[in-house]
Amino acid sequence: MGLLTVLKKLKQKEKEMRILMLGLDNAGKTTVLKRINGEPIDTISPTLGFNIKTLEHRGYKLNVWDVGGQKSLRSYWRNYFESTDGLIWVIDSADRRRLEDCKIELYKLLQEERLEGASLLILANKQDLPGALSASDIAEILELPSIKTHHWQIYKCSAVTGENLVEGINWIVDDISARIFYID
Amino acid sequence: MSGETIDNYTPIYDEGNMGQSSKAIEDKLFDEIIGHIEDILLEDDFHAIQKNFLDNYWDVFEPAEENKLIYTNIFNEYTKAVENYIVNYLQKVIPHFNINTFLKHLNNKQNELEGEVFEVLSTFTDFMSFKEMFLDYRAMKEGKVQDLSYGISITSLKSCTNDNNSFG
Repeated sequence: MGLLTVLKKLKQKEKEMRILMLGLDNAGKTTVLKRINGEPIDTISPTLGFNIKTLEHRGYKLNVWDVGGQKSLRSYWRNYFESTDGLIWVIDSADRRRLEDCKIELYKLLQEERLEGASLLILANKQDLPGALSASDIAEILELPSIKTHHWQIYKCSAVTGENLVEGINWIVDDISARIFYID
Repeated sequence: MSGETIDNYTPIYDEGNMGQSSKAIEDKLFDEIIGHIEDILLEDDFHAIQKNFLDNYWDVFEPAEENKLIYTNIFNEYTKAVENYIVNYLQKVIPHFNINTFLKHLNNKQNELEGEVFEVLSTFTDFMSFKEMFLDYRAMKEGKVQDLSYGISITSLKSCTNDNNSFG
């Protein structure tokens, strides 16, 4: 770690967390982000770059990074791994056809050294759509119980209705804070 | 907190009975380094790094909420250039300067890092400030904002041209 990175860490006044939000394209990452930030969600187009939002949540400052999920963009994800405290993996629960692809991409991330130790929140999004799989179905298809390298939790949610988003964020913030801020 | 800081101190140097005096030496060196960094922040050469980045890339940055992936490359390149400049400078002016030792000192003094120099240094790693700096520069270039600090500087045409090309 270089001089400036060290200084930045040391100078953090508030308790800050860096959260990276990834997932396949059209999973609803940007919509989740805007919804939890209280912004309108009616004019969202596919993300070709990345968005950053800083949210205050229960005394923590969350820096949430949302990077586009199209296939051609996934090789750039690694540029955003550094210093990640939590990973939010967003899934389109109604897109059964691409769940296998989704699983492959998720497990690739879990092998990344720079994401070691990051808490993993899986959002089974789009529960408002007919045909959406339940969180437990998705957990089974993605073999989540086999994940031993990361603390993980899955929440069903809908970025459109706002259902369960806060609960999911609460979980990841609690899990990160238990690791980072109370250990010493 | 302060108890922990002191406990962490000695093992790094492993000089046992020299504890007191080596701490005094360490403090003196630390202050000296910070003094040099303060000098660097005022240097024209140092500001030229920033100016070069702005001149090379201002038109890449667009006033939109979504960021382009290329911003990240430019940002990483920028923080690296700033960091290299500082470290190289310190290596030149301080005999046997060791960045790792300095980083340990910083860590030990975590709760004493007050002052503008640390505020300024921490802005170099803030992506949003970085983006804003480019957007401000762009607005200025496009004549939307009058920026006196750039407007007033008087440079001869010749050296001005050289400056602009020195980075690319």
